[in-house]
Amino acid sequence: MLFGKWMNALPTVGAIAGLGGVCTVVWGFWYWATPKYWEVGYMPIQPSTGFNHQLHAGKLGIDCRYCHTKVEESPEANIPNVATCYGCHAENHVSSQLVADDKIKFIRTAYEANESIAWRRVHKLPDYVRNFPHNAHVRAGVSCFSCHGQITAMPEVVQRESLSMSWCLSCHRDTPKHPELHLVPQDKVTRLFDVEQHLASMKEEPGRGSPVFAGFSAKAVYESLKLNPPDNCGACHY
Amino acid sequence: MKPLDQCPSSKKAGLPGKDELALIPSDLPRLEGQATRMWRSLDEAADTAEFRDFLHREFPAGASELSEPATRRSFLKLMGASVALAGAATVPGCRRPDHKIMPYAARVPENTIPGKPLFFATSMPLPGGGAEGLLVETHEGRPTKVEGNPLHPMNQGKSSVWAQSSVLDMYDPDRLKFPIYRPKAGDERTASWEDFRPWAVDHFAKFDATRGDGLAFIVEKKTSPTRDMLRERLRTRFPKAMWVPYSPASSDAAAAGSTIAFGAPMRELLTLTEAGKVKAKVIVSLDRDFLDAPEAGQLRNAREFAATRRVIATTDEMSRLYVVEPGFSNTGACADHRLRLAPSRVPAFAVALAKKIMEKAPGTGGALASALGGLAASGTDIPEAFVDAVAEDLLFASDGHGGKTTRTGQTVVLAGARLPAATQALVHAINGVLGNIGQTVSYVPMTQDEAAGDGIVALAKAMAEKRVKTVVCVECNPVYDAPADVDFAHAYEGVTSICLSVGSTETAAASMWSLNGAHYLESWGDTESADGTIAPIQPMIAPLYEPSLSEIEFLALIADPNGGMTAPATTTPAPPATIRPGPNAAPPRPLRVDDGYALVRQAWRQRLGASVNEAEFEKRWRRALHDGILHGSTPKPAAPTVRSDEVARAVAAMTIEPAPSAQALDVAFTTTHVHDGRFANNGWLQELPQAATRVVWDNPAMMSPKTAKELGLLPDKYNKKHPDDIYTKKYPEARVGKLDVGGRSLEIAVWLCPGMADHTVLLPLGYGRTVCGRVGDGVGFNTYAMRSSGAPWMMRGGKASATTRGYAIASTQNHWSLEGRTAILRQVDLPAWAKHGGEPVRIEPDRLYDTRKELPFGERVSHGELTHTPPNISIYPHPFREAEGKPSPQDETMNGRGAKPAPGSVYSSRPQWGMSIDLSTCTGCGACTVACQAENNIAIVGKKEVAKGREMAWIRVDRYFTGDDPNEPTRMLHQPVACVQCENAPCETVCPVNATTHGPEGINYMVYNRCIGTRYCANNCPYKVRRFNFFDYGVTRFNGDYMGKDMVEKLPMVPGHGNGSTAHNKINPNLIPPRLREKLEEISKLQKNPDVTVRSRGVMEKCTYCIQRINEARIETKLQNLGDIPDGLVQSACQQACPSGAIVFGDLLDTESHGGRGSRAREMHLHQRSYMLLGYLNTRPRTTYMVHVANPNPKLRTPIEDPFGHHDDHDSHGHEGEHGGKPSGGHSDLGVSRSSFLRDSAKALADRGYAVSLKVLGSLA
Repeated sequence: MLFGKWMNALPTVGAIAGLGGVCTVVWGFWYWATPKYWEVGYMPIQPSTGFNHQLHAGKLGIDCRYCHTKVEESPEANIPNVATCYGCHAENHVSSQLVADDKIKFIRTAYEANESIAWRRVHKLPDYVRNFPHNAHVRAGVSCFSCHGQITAMPEVVQRESLSMSWCLSCHRDTPKHPELHLVPQDKVTRLFDVEQHLASMKEEPGRGSPVFAGFSAKAVYESLKLNPPDNCGACHY
Repeated sequence: MKPLDQCPSSKKAGLPGKDELALIPSDLPRLEGQATRMWRSLDEAADTAEFRDFLHREFPAGASELSEPATRRSFLKLMGASVALAGAATVPGCRRPDHKIMPYAARVPENTIPGKPLFFATSMPLPGGGAEGLLVETHEGRPTKVEGNPLHPMNQGKSSVWAQSSVLDMYDPDRLKFPIYRPKAGDERTASWEDFRPWAVDHFAKFDATRGDGLAFIVEKKTSPTRDMLRERLRTRFPKAMWVPYSPASSDAAAAGSTIAFGAPMRELLTLTEAGKVKAKVIVSLDRDFLDAPEAGQLRNAREFAATRRVIATTDEMSRLYVVEPGFSNTGACADHRLRLAPSRVPAFAVALAKKIMEKAPGTGGALASALGGLAASGTDIPEAFVDAVAEDLLFASDGHGGKTTRTGQTVVLAGARLPAATQALVHAINGVLGNIGQTVSYVPMTQDEAAGDGIVALAKAMAEKRVKTVVCVECNPVYDAPADVDFAHAYEGVTSICLSVGSTETAAASMWSLNGAHYLESWGDTESADGTIAPIQPMIAPLYEPSLSEIEFLALIADPNGGMTAPATTTPAPPATIRPGPNAAPPRPLRVDDGYALVRQAWRQRLGASVNEAEFEKRWRRALHDGILHGSTPKPAAPTVRSDEVARAVAAMTIEPAPSAQALDVAFTTTHVHDGRFANNGWLQELPQAATRVVWDNPAMMSPKTAKELGLLPDKYNKKHPDDIYTKKYPEARVGKLDVGGRSLEIAVWLCPGMADHTVLLPLGYGRTVCGRVGDGVGFNTYAMRSSGAPWMMRGGKASATTRGYAIASTQNHWSLEGRTAILRQVDLPAWAKHGGEPVRIEPDRLYDTRKELPFGERVSHGELTHTPPNISIYPHPFREAEGKPSPQDETMNGRGAKPAPGSVYSSRPQWGMSIDLSTCTGCGACTVACQAENNIAIVGKKEVAKGREMAWIRVDRYFTGDDPNEPTRMLHQPVACVQCENAPCETVCPVNATTHGPEGINYMVYNRCIGTRYCANNCPYKVRRFNFFDYGVTRFNGDYMGKDMVEKLPMVPGHGNGSTAHNKINPNLIPPRLREKLEEISKLQKNPDVTVRSRGVMEKCTYCIQRINEARIETKLQNLGDIPDGLVQSACQQACPSGAIVFGDLLDTESHGGRGSRAREMHLHQRSYMLLGYLNTRPRTTYMVHVANPNPKLRTPIEDPFGHHDDHDSHGHEGEHGGKPSGGHSDLGVSRSSFLRDSAKALADRGYAVSLKVLGSLA
């Protein structure tokens, strides 16, 4: 016999295998070909010794806005100019006792030569997404933590969130329903440890939150500021 | 009229024979029974098959398909190459690119917030005198956009196309970048300013002995107090040197004419309105394009003229404009009555008018009247009735009771630059007689340089005779633009020549020293505008090609015996450095005598005099830098008396020329957007369609169709050898003619321009440049070769003959046509508006939604299109529906007409954006188009691409002619069209990937990264406002240049022979891998607006109401807790630039602004004159138009008092023919009412799908 009886099962097996194959391919794309896979964990090597956020923002407790000065006014959270670094790291200044000179030599060299330092960009939106407005988000009480993660614990800055469109939209669509899961007091957006604790406990048990933020009502802020996180295309793409 | 048939199967059979199509203007079919016929081109007027084919395709031939049927083999070969290249590039492309952030080094410059633009006031000197006060947007020290300065009295926030596009000139990649020294012919050395300075010290020291004899300076005619100071400084050192102010595009006749009339050269300043009232009730322009030509008062004129034409109430007064001109200018387009008249005959008209005025008002002329008596000015080309009516209108107004009142001081007569001095003087005298001087027209003394006569002839003579040995040429280009008989280029070779120039010029290339100059956006300086206001020029950025000197710095260098190295006498504080250096950075440059900042301050110090002390000066200086004007510098304009005897003497010496004939043509010169040629390397200006012709990238000679026919210069319209091969017809072709005048001849393409005077040739100047850069080189014809110094603007006795050659010309006049729908541009006469404008808004049931619609005056004129909405059902849900269910009839109206959306419905929350464009005040200048191009990073595409209909401008200005006679159209009208932001947008429903969607504020969004380039949306857009990136226009220069020189060759066009167009597309650019195309220069990228995406290939784009500005304003109002966005905080780029204020943009739901009147956009939307473009399609556009109102003189044309026509009866739908789709009858079996004009039953026979649709609709209706 040319065709054995077992061959009757072939269409079924083939169909299942084919379906499985398609599913695998789709799943493969789903898993690997998304920003969640590609972007999260991006940690470029910064020039020279880099900038230790864990030390400066965490241990020393320097506020984010000490360096990122215009974050409340400008769509961009600016990178500090060299003079800001030099302010502490000038020769015979306060830092001389704390840090070896050769570690921060690149700052002094750059400052004295009136040159910029080419920091590597970690968080980057595509070019067709115009100007993520830091100013609008900070005003609404969205903490740095929400997008950048626990920066104060990072020796080297690493990307924690995917920054994909669905990720943006998940927050924009959830905030009107559950502002307390996303908003913190406007003046405390840079207190990242408190924010992390607060948001985590809010998630665990709605209404609890961090005692540091006691008395803060995200709902009231949401309403008084007439927040209305846009979820239309024209808010970002133009 | 045959039905517009789009079915391919019927195409061959249905068209008229090809032989019928040869365009013969006198044989144009006339449409019976239609009062005003509108058409855009002669082809449309003649309704040729080519035109129809053009319309039926979304893009002109060749736009959509591979133009050359590429063989499979060549395709595979090319594809293989591109795939290989792509593959090689992909491997390292897997990694995320390394992006760097470069913070400021030492200190952030003053006021800079990274990510936010800063605005600085400055001013732009206009060539020929005058200036514009500007506000320049800079991003981190990089100027990107130029706006008008709201505080400057000339601009008042508005700006011209030249100011708008000047920012691109600064980033011109072909600018001179370093000095070049050419000691002798063929020896060219790269040099530096440090080489030049010692050379200059030595060289100019030689002239100290001769006190400057043998030295000459050629400078631009310019109004700048600092340059005047330096002129005097140079005169002190070299008293015998020649100082030649020279501008080829400005006329000496204006200065000479005012000298005759007033004894001193004077600049005219018009006052057309006063305190919101129309002051100039009658304006007569004799060949003066006062609204749009590059003249110093253009913006002020356009603004004031618009104010006299903007009728809001039915009782509003309106000015009346008469224009007498040879070619159609934009001013002619605004005219209520226009007389086309050969340029040599305009003086005759002035004489005839003056005579008539003095006849009607006896005793006013004095000596002038008797001088005029000796001149015979009549002729068949100057209709007696027209002159009589104009004179009557200038003198008297009807008081409404049959009596007359005088119009003393309420009119103005204007003389154009082309007119001889005696005519100009006569026109001044007419204004004097009419009592206008000091009322509607006043005068400001011209500066010395501005009034200087044409010294270029004397200079060239002195150069040829070796009396002048050294010529210093500053910012001008006489080698290219000196009159041909002067032979400047030849004389220039024999002298030691030094040329300072910003851009590459022919003069710089021919000079011994060519020095790189600083652009006005990079340097210090000052300007004086037409009304005498002084404004500073301050640098926005350090010179891109440092070191480079500005004009004043360069002159100071020469005036200084030490080559500019002397320290200045007075100590001046250093200008605030843009970047303050670190402690060990190089020490600041020692202040030198040629420092622009110090020079301007010195000049101002001198000007303000000793009465202003140091502290006061400092205060006023700082205020001037902040505000952009020197307060208190505007002089009070004078009202001099006319020296009647002098004028009479000049008039008596006038010769009245006979009318030109086919054997003796009038040849006149004109300027276009490239001005005198200085902006030839500016792509935005090259690609801005020119007035009347809509030609881009070229300057064909313009002729009336009748004259062209007489002279045998008609283009050969059709390829007779391959009658079916209509797709090879890619470019509108012109015939090349040979023009002889004044002993010189030129072969130039001829463009037929309706409305031109017969036997007249207009030659636009400024093209045919050979050394200006990759954009402008070799574009068009050099018409300076025909110019003579004796008669720079007008020559008589020209002869023209045809050659056998054709020439491809790109004109946008037929592009983006709305296919013969008639009520697109609506116009009424003033009496009709006065009579019917106040009628209550008619309310009608809206059968689409079972609600009601409001029909104001504007919707009812021109056949009342909206009342004829066919019985139909809407596939769109009603945008104003209540949260659930049907719309409530009492709340609902068409949006923009007092929109009261139901609470909770889609468009119920503020803001709801809308725009209104007033067709009455639009002058068609194109400032909106260039402003949009600059704001939205719109690419230029080049001549070849434009010819294919691929121009990218988001806002286009459609130009229509009206009337039946193509040789003499009654009017030319303009209509700017951008995306109208339909509430029911047809583009959105067809996008397969949701790349174009609707926002909650009523804006139709375009998401570039989603777009996959199906172009369904463009196909479905009834307004034709979507633009497709066929190539990477934004980042590549297509084929290395913009002209496609290797492709668009001059077409061999022997009649009866193939037109050779197959040769042009040997290479299909689609198949050239992007990597092999030439990239845009890095420097050009600096101009791009960082707030707008640069679109890539294969992406659709269109107007988005400047959504980047809206979003910025929204965030800003939130940060400042301002509540709703206040009216005026967001201006679209087109609105901001529009000199006549025709474009208004704002929140339609804003009822609070302006003291409860609501936003201006809302006010205009609710206005009786407003109408929706193609409103009957139920697109509910957010941009509405306001009906054009004309103010005809009843003596010349009876005004139409019934604007509605017989079509106003909304119950009848039987107006066949009007919309082109005349049913041919006999198909009642389809179950379709024959009366619906949208249904083309002839087509139903050929197209089954169409028939089925009709059936479905018929059963539903």
